[in-house]
Amino acid sequence: MVTNIQCGRLRLALLAILLLVAIPSTATQQLRSDFEGMWSDPPHTAIGEFCFAWCTDAGIDYLNKLLDDPANDARPVRDLMAQATKYQVDVYIKSVLTSEALKAYPLDPADDPAFLRCEPIGGARQIFVRHQLDIRRRGNDRLEFHYGEWDATRTIYMDGRKRPLDQPASPLGYSLGHWEGDTLVIETSGFTANRLEAAIAVHSDQLRIVERYTRSRDGKTLMLTATMEDPKILRAPLVFKKIWGWSPASRIAPYKDCQLPTEILKGTNRP
Amino acid sequence: MRHSKALTLTILTLMLWPNSAAAHHSFAPVYDGSRMITVTGVVTQFRFVNPHAMMLMDVTDESGKAVKWTVESAGSLNLSEVGWTADSIKAKERVTVTGNPTHTGSQRMFFRKLVRSDGSELLNSELQRTKDIEEERLQRQRARSQQK
Repeated sequence: MVTNIQCGRLRLALLAILLLVAIPSTATQQLRSDFEGMWSDPPHTAIGEFCFAWCTDAGIDYLNKLLDDPANDARPVRDLMAQATKYQVDVYIKSVLTSEALKAYPLDPADDPAFLRCEPIGGARQIFVRHQLDIRRRGNDRLEFHYGEWDATRTIYMDGRKRPLDQPASPLGYSLGHWEGDTLVIETSGFTANRLEAAIAVHSDQLRIVERYTRSRDGKTLMLTATMEDPKILRAPLVFKKIWGWSPASRIAPYKDCQLPTEILKGTNRP
Repeated sequence: MRHSKALTLTILTLMLWPNSAAAHHSFAPVYDGSRMITVTGVVTQFRFVNPHAMMLMDVTDESGKAVKWTVESAGSLNLSEVGWTADSIKAKERVTVTGNPTHTGSQRMFFRKLVRSDGSELLNSELQRTKDIEEERLQRQRARSQQK
């Protein structure tokens, strides 16, 4: 015979089991599979190409105006893209650089360690590289971003942890992620000083990047908005965008034949 | 060796696009983006690797002397996205290649376009994508006209 007390305990046990099944752990909640898989080149459109590596809202708006102006209909589309690139540099990027960063702008590509010594690039450039990005869940608490360029892998911790105080700085930094609705948000700090994208400047170890990834409604494109802050070189946040296309058939090939340059002309960044 | 004076409009405009060739490595310190050259010769090796693919050619110059040329291009991560494979260029093929020369005038160039002896062409990835992008742009222009 089952007593009332035993019956109550049984109900409590059943309720506990139901709760465990119905409410996933925090780590499981954060490890959604929305973006998992292979991404690569963006759609072959003017805006897709413009944002292949990085672009800005100012540049996109300007390019759209150029494309919508009948006076430009006979001009090659890449001519318009080059004009929009110059515009976003002159009007937007230069406006957020500190006076010290502006003095050195743009950096000489001949001094780029990636070119001179085949040194892998830092996180502030890695997140904008072209071509393959393979996103995978690893274990119960993290995502892995594997990029074709430089064969680089980032770990994104999704379990709500904080960056350990004794975590040493590194080229790719320390990345913590969470979901805000359908947006994957990644906050990265702990970088060693390195170059920003497009030879803009050398950032300091105080660089902090917030990446926000969203997938288009049709699932075919992945969009990144990256906000970079560094009091040493930026007077205001620098915001770059980027687009990938869904590309399940793409493969990441070995990246091991980097050759040191045998001839170099310095100063090509100056008129 | 033959230097071509004729440049296509597409290639010219591509030269104005600053992000194309220098995606992962610095292009400007080695190659002159404002000029194009063309050479004809026989492929001796094609390495479909990263970060940059390399093609080696034997080219006969005006004096009849055999000269080794190196043609550098975007790597397999890039080219595979527009259909290239390790067999896209074969050893012993006779080809005519157009690209950007080096600042020093050495026997080296950055790849833009290849024409085989049968007339078929192989374009770099930017030129291939440009065809699609111009088509999308035409559709945009048509849509704009219809709205008026």
